[in-house]
Amino acid sequence: MDLLAQVFVNGILLGGLYAIMALGLALVWGVLNIVNLAHGAFIMLGAYLSWYLFKYLGIDPFLGLPITAIVMFGAGYAVQRGMLNLIVRAPMFNTLLVTFGLEVVLTYLAQLAFSADFRTINPSYAGSNIAIGPVVVPIVRLAAFGVAIVLAVIMWLFLLRTRLGRAIRATAQNLVAARLYGVEPRHLYATTFGIGIGLAGVAGGLYGTVSQINPYIGATLTAKCFAIAIIGGLENPLGVIVGGLVLGIIESLAILYIGATFGDVASFGVLVLVLIVRPSGLLGRTA
Amino acid sequence: MSVAGKSTDGALLRVSGLGAGYGGMPVLHSVSLEVRPAEIVAVVGSNGAGKTTLLRALSRVIAATGQIEFKGRDLVPLTPDQAFAAGLVQVPEGRQLFDRMTVEDNLLMAADRRSDKAVALEDLRRMYALFPRLGERRRQLAGSMSGGEQQMCAMARALMARPILLAIDEMSLGLAPVVVEQLMEVLARIRDEGVTVLLVEQDVHLALSAADRGYVMETGRIVHEGAAKDLIDDPAVRKAYLGL
Repeated sequence: MDLLAQVFVNGILLGGLYAIMALGLALVWGVLNIVNLAHGAFIMLGAYLSWYLFKYLGIDPFLGLPITAIVMFGAGYAVQRGMLNLIVRAPMFNTLLVTFGLEVVLTYLAQLAFSADFRTINPSYAGSNIAIGPVVVPIVRLAAFGVAIVLAVIMWLFLLRTRLGRAIRATAQNLVAARLYGVEPRHLYATTFGIGIGLAGVAGGLYGTVSQINPYIGATLTAKCFAIAIIGGLENPLGVIVGGLVLGIIESLAILYIGATFGDVASFGVLVLVLIVRPSGLLGRTA
Repeated sequence: MSVAGKSTDGALLRVSGLGAGYGGMPVLHSVSLEVRPAEIVAVVGSNGAGKTTLLRALSRVIAATGQIEFKGRDLVPLTPDQAFAAGLVQVPEGRQLFDRMTVEDNLLMAADRRSDKAVALEDLRRMYALFPRLGERRRQLAGSMSGGEQQMCAMARALMARPILLAIDEMSLGLAPVVVEQLMEVLARIRDEGVTVLLVEQDVHLALSAADRGYVMETGRIVHEGAAKDLIDDPAVRKAYLGL
């Protein structure tokens, strides 16, 4: 029983991190109709950025997140304006091809720049835990979870309450009408993609505090984000949180009861199940 | 018909030699028309005459050749958001609401580029007075309303942008006569407030009886034009469109 509780807590903490990873992918997918296969590679870049900030400038990985977010936002804005804008209304296959190419290029550039060595961001409190009854909660995981949830709620409020958020939702729902009512799509797309990549950067920074990073983590993370976006839907950040938590818990349970190699099998199995049973996502609409 | 070189004073919108189409397929052939301030001008014609294409060209959603002079400025090089910002606002065919946004968000969206929050909220109150039904449903998702309510929402959304020229595509299509009547009353009211209206309609009688002047389109060309009451009495128009 204690073990089960521990596994659940692990799953929830992991799920929060998954959610923040998937949030940017779901946003870009919903608004630009691009499944960004390079999303995981941007998470990886965000992780390295956080690592460098910590290692060479001594910036705490959590305090450095805003820097990572801003830099990655700029990178995302530029990539969208300079490259993805060329294929934004192209058939989906083209968008997959281009973003897959981007993922390969980023991964191998990262290998050249950072080497293939495993790295971790190790602040002084990295090994600290708090015990809640029989359950042990690592501080960094709890903090990463907290940041993820707060960010998702901020995103939700941003989309619901601000002018830019309203324009983003309107464009996702009806591009023609959005253009007729004053939205300039190129800027809006680039801003949305920038926000998505900024979120990926933050997710990377958090990932670096709880796990090892190397240049090749991107592809697996993209696949998980894809699964979460399908489960949680594209429109509501709170749905993405639910998707992340579902995936995190299922993975943790599968690892405990079936075996360590079955984590991914279980999470993608859930994806297939959701697609069969509720193709519109657990909480409603997807693309 | 306006002639090149004629002063544009008095004309809010002057379209001349307008051509447009889809993927190399021309639909409009040298369309020319004029709309003066505070007029209701009807463009009528049967399905496929090019009326919707005309509005898409005016709103700059599709490529166009020729001239679209609006407030003395050529719209042809502009993008849809720039035409919108200039004050040419369209209620598109099929309403094109933001279906999964609330009625209120649909309305506010149209005001976002134009005004500060206080002005937008003031306009919102005006819209709810003009369309009490929308006030009742302001928290409802736009896509969940009836066709008539959606058309009201589309009209209110356009008015939230404080248009100088309001271009409405097939306002009456698929709506109950009582709803159409309400919407026509609203049109008359906003014209009295100084908004110019370009009404594009398949329902020739409805459009011409509400309009000051009218144009009849056929296969991408203007084939008749004149005062609306003259067009209604024109034997050719009566025969072709009114079944008389």
